[in-house]
Amino acid sequence: MKGLRADGKAIRVMAVDDSPVIRKLIKKALEPEGVAMVGEAGNGRDAVELCFKLSPDIITMDITMPIMDGLEAALAIKQKNPGQKIIMLSAMSDQDIVADAKSRGINHFCSKPFKTEDIMAKILQVINE
Amino acid sequence: MASFVRAANNVFKQMLDLGINKGQAESEGDSFISQGFTVMIGLTGAWQGWFFLDMSQDTAVKLAGIMTGEEYETVESEEVLLAGAEMGNIICGNAITDINSIHSGLNIRLTPPSVFAGEGMSMFNVRLNACSVILQTDAGTIKLNVVMREAK
Repeated sequence: MKGLRADGKAIRVMAVDDSPVIRKLIKKALEPEGVAMVGEAGNGRDAVELCFKLSPDIITMDITMPIMDGLEAALAIKQKNPGQKIIMLSAMSDQDIVADAKSRGINHFCSKPFKTEDIMAKILQVINE
Repeated sequence: MASFVRAANNVFKQMLDLGINKGQAESEGDSFISQGFTVMIGLTGAWQGWFFLDMSQDTAVKLAGIMTGEEYETVESEEVLLAGAEMGNIICGNAITDINSIHSGLNIRLTPPSVFAGEGMSMFNVRLNACSVILQTDAGTIKLNVVMREAK
């Protein structure tokens, strides 16, 4: 299965999106590949709190969310843990959004709609960096 | 309108594995009667307006089932409403990304989606005329309705 780290253990992923349907789709896409979905959050504030409890290998993060958006959450996480790997997952990916994300130290993006192979390939790319 | 049709085609193909047959774009006037299930998303920035994704309730239930792999009886299931909202959000988000990249400086952004489910609803835009396109899919007829004007 593709969803394993170099040490043979499952890649641990936390999914952050205000849509429970998208969180379900991410889980459906990744679990059959051997990825361990260790947690999920519906807004940026909960994502920041949960991230430090779970220490996932990778976080998939939506941008537009209530309470705290994904870019703010990613920045807050990166400030405490610069090594935390985050993939921004969004339906909007225009230049201004990408530039804003990069200015916060976020360099990985995946667009919605996503295919299983696309998000899995991005996870493998990020985990191997 | 072309950006919205391309986005819908992409979303239906990638997320739902459904092909679409596109009808002609036409001016809708300031209102239309919903087929029973309508997702509305506001547009803000240099251009403002709304995007509507409209379909029958039966089509919404079918599409939600294809999307999640679950079976639903009616649109009263929360996941059907959420799936519809997300479809509208992704179609609109992809279209606006395309428009923003073609027309630099517009910075159009989306509001969170609202979903309306009910028979015979009239969707009315005050003082604005819309453009719409009908898409035919194996799950039913989908209408994309867009109204935009330059922000003052």
